[in-house]
Amino acid sequence: MAQDHPLPSISPDVRRSWWTPARRDHFIGYLFILPQITGLVVFVLVPLALMAWYSLNEWNVLAGTFSFVGLGNYEKLATDPALPGVLWASACFSVGLVLFNLSLALLLAVLLNQKLAGTVVFRTIFFSPVVVSLVAWAIVWRFLLQQDGGINAVLRMLSIDGPNWLRGPNTAMVSVIVVQVVKNVGLNMVLFLAALQNVPQELYEAARVDGASRWTQFFRITVPLISPTVLLTSIITVAGSLQVFAQIAVLTEGGPGTSTTVLVYYLYQQAFQFHFFGYGASLAMLLLLIVGALTYLQWSLRKAWVYDND
Amino acid sequence: MASVSIASVNKSFGSHPVIKDVSVEIADGEFVILVGPSGCGKSTLLRIIAGLETINSGTLAIGDRRVNDVEPKDRDIAMVFQNYALYPHMTVAANMAFSLVQRGVAKAEVERHVHEAAAILEIEPLLSRYPKQLSGGQRQRVAMGRAIVRNPKVFLFDEPLSNLDAKLRVQMRGEIKALHHRLATTMIYVTHDQIEAMTMADRIVVLRDGKVEQIGSPLDLYDHPVNLFVAGFLGSNGMAFFRGNYRDGQFVSSDGLKLPFATRGDLEGRDVVCGVRPDDFILTDDGVDATVDVLEPTGSETQMLARWGSQKFTSLFRGRLTAPPGSSVRLGIAPGRAHVFDAESGLRLDGQPPCHA
Ligand SMILES: Nc1ncnc2c1ncn2[C@@H]1O[C@H](COP(=O)(O)OP(=O)(O)OP(=O)(O)O)[C@@H](O)[C@H]1O
Ligand SMILES: [Mg+2]
Repeated sequence: MAQDHPLPSISPDVRRSWWTPARRDHFIGYLFILPQITGLVVFVLVPLALMAWYSLNEWNVLAGTFSFVGLGNYEKLATDPALPGVLWASACFSVGLVLFNLSLALLLAVLLNQKLAGTVVFRTIFFSPVVVSLVAWAIVWRFLLQQDGGINAVLRMLSIDGPNWLRGPNTAMVSVIVVQVVKNVGLNMVLFLAALQNVPQELYEAARVDGASRWTQFFRITVPLISPTVLLTSIITVAGSLQVFAQIAVLTEGGPGTSTTVLVYYLYQQAFQFHFFGYGASLAMLLLLIVGALTYLQWSLRKAWVYDND
Repeated sequence: MASVSIASVNKSFGSHPVIKDVSVEIADGEFVILVGPSGCGKSTLLRIIAGLETINSGTLAIGDRRVNDVEPKDRDIAMVFQNYALYPHMTVAANMAFSLVQRGVAKAEVERHVHEAAAILEIEPLLSRYPKQLSGGQRQRVAMGRAIVRNPKVFLFDEPLSNLDAKLRVQMRGEIKALHHRLATTMIYVTHDQIEAMTMADRIVVLRDGKVEQIGSPLDLYDHPVNLFVAGFLGSNGMAFFRGNYRDGQFVSSDGLKLPFATRGDLEGRDVVCGVRPDDFILTDDGVDATVDVLEPTGSETQMLARWGSQKFTSLFRGRLTAPPGSSVRLGIAPGRAHVFDAESGLRLDGQPPCHA
């Protein structure tokens, strides 16, 4: 047997083949993410591109007209007299929701992180609304918040004359915020709980020996160490708050007046009630821009206030 | 600086007693080491002194002050934790300054203290780094720095060297001792490493299962362990133990072998355990034949694993030795260096006066 090569098993043919182990690994890697990529393309990227295209057209489904108008929808958007009010309502809703949601979630997490009896039960209770159907949740609350609903019945027992929650211009906004917070606060609470449990107990002991009060321990140790989770929950909550729709549709239908007409609800009205599909699409692009900008802002500010363990 | 007095302290977690009637008097400026096997309650006792655990009964005093109900921050103690417990989101300087800031010390004063402490520990170049940017040994130093900036009355250390590699451990051992000399502050130090205990302590407290077994200077404990547990726990090569009893004043091993222990008329017929430290064996013609299993020369010393009957033991000799495995060697015991314990209670049976040969 002639042995021309020092390593006879690796013939030049095999070595020059394009099907190298590295290529094979790449191929298998792509195979693994293929389902996810397909989903992303079909359900996110294609609709996004279509929407961008629709926003450049005038599309009336009823009349069956579809015509290119360039930036016409965006000009309309810039001059829409209703839009500032809509953005203001959105801002009120988002700010109120984020502040209320995060502080309540953190408070609950801190309370339920104590080694006390019954904390597991309460964790479950506070988390359970998260898994309830959104529409069912909103419908129940609509009944509770009616003029002669459950909330006011309870208040009457305390001799308090409750307002018509969903029909008063101020109480309507507060009501939708509270209903939404109670629905979702459990999720942030669970995330905060996990973060709190990751703070080593020894640090609190060191701080106690160092003379830090409970408040100082919370603000100088707990808060900095859970700040990555505060960032995460605030991004999720801000983005989620801007997309609120079903609760508004069920509880107030944007009213009274337009006091709870947030951006997505306005978009829904324009596209599906007044059939301005193109204009609706341009509103959707505006929403995308706002969510993207806020997320980017939060992410880029993280260096300034988020403790980074990596 | 202050003394620490622990008097009849008891502590249970739920119904599980962890510290059982412990009393220790620690003098001002003393370096005391709490040592014992895992789970014996060393950390718990230290945390009791720190005020991180409450006690069920007994009295704890620092200086002349009873501190049973005093908060940790008001006890004037500083603690170095096993995993250092450095605040990960603060720089080294901020870590060290934290306690002073909490006490409302003026900023310039804080900086001066931090720099002084950093100079002592030679960590000045690290002051602006974060804990994650430090090596284990550097973190250890910062943890000590955080303790010394406050100039406390008592330092508490919980296994501060257990996360370091062997070489660094030896170095830090020396540095902590040197720090003690320099500051002359009372230090209470927990370890389960008997070498640390032997080399560093003024006095050692041996704990087992929540009870004090013995308190004394390292050499006291080495030469006169009060029971089998202390005898077996201290000393770098384990003490050799032989079971048997005394007949006609002579120790006879459980194999029926007469072993060369000193005669003890007072122990006639008693079941005992005789102990010998490895370096207390001697080569002598008056000895008893032992079968050599293994010889391990290290150059300056030779360690020999051998047997008397079925009872194996380790012996250690200065210099070099040649004895092929299987051969026999006549071994005796250095006069006055044997330890005799009651087989049942494990307590030392001291017939002869202590000998400090
Ligand atoms: N918070 C606690 N709750 C219940 N039991 C505890 C608690 N802390 C300690 N124990 C128990 O008390 C006993 C002593 O614990 P301790 O931590 O003092 O041991 P140790 O001597 O420091 O051990 P090691 O050398 O492993 O650190 C152990 O049995 C332990 O399980
Ligand atoms: Mg311990």
